Amino acid sequence: MVVWMRRFEAPNYHNHKGTVTSTSMCSLRCGIFLLQSDEGTSFRAENTKTMEPQTKRWKGSECDTDSWVAYPVLSDEQSQDVGLVEAYAAPIVNKKETSRLVRELNSLYPLNDLQHVKRVRAVKEKGSPHPLEVLVCLVSDAPAMKVVSIDSLLPSDGVKSDGLGEPFVVKVPARPPLTRPQFEQASKHWPTSFHEDKQVTVALRGELFSAPQKARMHVYMTSALTAARAANELGMEAVGAVMVDPAMERIVAVGHDCRGDHPLHHAVMVCVDLVARSQGGGCYTYDRYPACSFTSLTSDPVQKIPGAEASSQPYICTGYDLYVTREPCVMCAMALVHSRIGRVFYGSASADGAFGTKYKIHSQKDLNHRFEVYKGVLGKQCEDLNSLDGHVKKGK
Amino acid sequence: MGTDEGLRAAECFHPSDEEIEKWMDDAFDTAKDALENGEVPVGCLMVYSNQVIGKGRNEVNETKNATRHAEMVALDQLLAWCRHSNLDVSSVCERTALYVTVEPCIMCAAALRLLNIPVVVYGCRNERFGGCGSVLDVSSASLPQTGSTFKCVSGHRAEEAVEMLKTFYKQENPNGDQNLSLLLFLLSSPLLSSLFSSPRLIFSYISSLVSSFLLLSDFCFYAVSQELFINFFFAILSFLPFLYITS
Repeated sequence: MVVWMRRFEAPNYHNHKGTVTSTSMCSLRCGIFLLQSDEGTSFRAENTKTMEPQTKRWKGSECDTDSWVAYPVLSDEQSQDVGLVEAYAAPIVNKKETSRLVRELNSLYPLNDLQHVKRVRAVKEKGSPHPLEVLVCLVSDAPAMKVVSIDSLLPSDGVKSDGLGEPFVVKVPARPPLTRPQFEQASKHWPTSFHEDKQVTVALRGELFSAPQKARMHVYMTSALTAARAANELGMEAVGAVMVDPAMERIVAVGHDCRGDHPLHHAVMVCVDLVARSQGGGCYTYDRYPACSFTSLTSDPVQKIPGAEASSQPYICTGYDLYVTREPCVMCAMALVHSRIGRVFYGSASADGAFGTKYKIHSQKDLNHRFEVYKGVLGKQCEDLNSLDGHVKKGK
Repeated sequence: MGTDEGLRAAECFHPSDEEIEKWMDDAFDTAKDALENGEVPVGCLMVYSNQVIGKGRNEVNETKNATRHAEMVALDQLLAWCRHSNLDVSSVCERTALYVTVEPCIMCAAALRLLNIPVVVYGCRNERFGGCGSVLDVSSASLPQTGSTFKCVSGHRAEEAVEMLKTFYKQENPNGDQNLSLLLFLLSSPLLSSLFSSPRLIFSYISSLVSSFLLLSDFCFYAVSQELFINFFFAILSFLPFLYITS
């Protein structure tokens, strides 16, 4: 049975060769961990990608999770416009010629960089004399000509222009659409194919997280807010951060801004070092600050779960989720890349923020670790912390 | 405010060739120390009015904190030195140069900005994480809330710095070590035993192979790119059925 499966799978993956993307890598991982977990402790599979929607029995809980929505911070490729390029299209006057025309045009003017663009489109307006239109070539690929005509576009010995009307210029999407909004935008100009990432579509609608998931996120961000207020009372910036192990559903570390004694002790940096301490490392002590804490792994009996042995040894912040009240700065964002963070959730944006505002370090092309970032978790409450900060800064 | 002052300080504050040579020698010695201790070979020095007030090497593995890069360690020493000498941190930082064997990463570049360090002298570029132009240019970007921009002097003994990094990456990552040997064992075991006598066993074999691969690819983030692992992994998977049939 297994052998049979493998034989069919393996060549399929071979086709991918060097182009295995990080997403396929991730889903691959999830799948494999699910395969492994006989005891039903799919300890890592749950946390990364596939948070399944659960029943809505938590709806009436005391957390007001309807007051906020977590939206994904997508990469530039996913959030920018797809861009447009000009091309010549021509009406197909004689419908019977369509398949020949497409075949011959494909070999004369292959649209290699525009695989997502469909060659032929149906004319929507009623009463049009011709039902179909075909893309002839890109304006940039067209031969030099004084007057644009179908005969000057098609060399006499190549494609026969039988059945084609006079060409006109259209705009077609330059890059394949990656998200539904991009697809809808692109389709207005010319029919485009789209391989939808359902998770992104749902996330963009703000519906990725189920009510119980949102309730948990609410709890974690609330403790980050509490830590932020504690920092503010000590005369430091009102920023708090909470590191969570989503597989165990427990808080690993809580930190807040400690810039009072070290200019680089931003909340995230404090949290990262507290995680190191929870694993027997670390290089600072924050014992003076009761709101900064960590859960030591050794004293935790939950760790002894069958199936989660050697491989579950925590390694820096791998697989952990970070909840932080304010969008991290460049230093903190890169610290999270170095720490192999699983996902990041933040409340409000910041002026020099590196997860959406100034940079998108979590989706930066050349970096070898990428992850999902969501913003807007308890956005209003996190935003309100800034007004607390205003008072302190004046005094400094 | 900070930007203007930082720029002015940087203009009147440019290390001479002799200074660069002298301090970079020291930085390279520190990097060698890191290499001997199984850390990424990066060493750095913070120099203020001709004296070393901070010296650091990578300490990531020791502290289990991935942010303990040489620059961060040296900045901690600088701060401790200021406290000890009862000097104002910002006035010291404005007149301090950093000498480092490899281009500071994005995180360290931002940290240097936050402390208003005006000049950074480095050896080779850091294509993986560089924050002074290689991946992002944090050193000169417009980030009004992130301190002041700094000037970079690059290329001193660059080849040597690259060689040290190569030497390190050729060695095994101490975190990936055990998994690598596990993998090697798993790859060699079918040749030694009749592991393939039942489909049940082949399943457990595959899953253990897969898990060791995943651990490897997870932990050896300094090693070969993950895509190579994946390709290799599927090459093995596609080969397994034939092994099963022939045995």
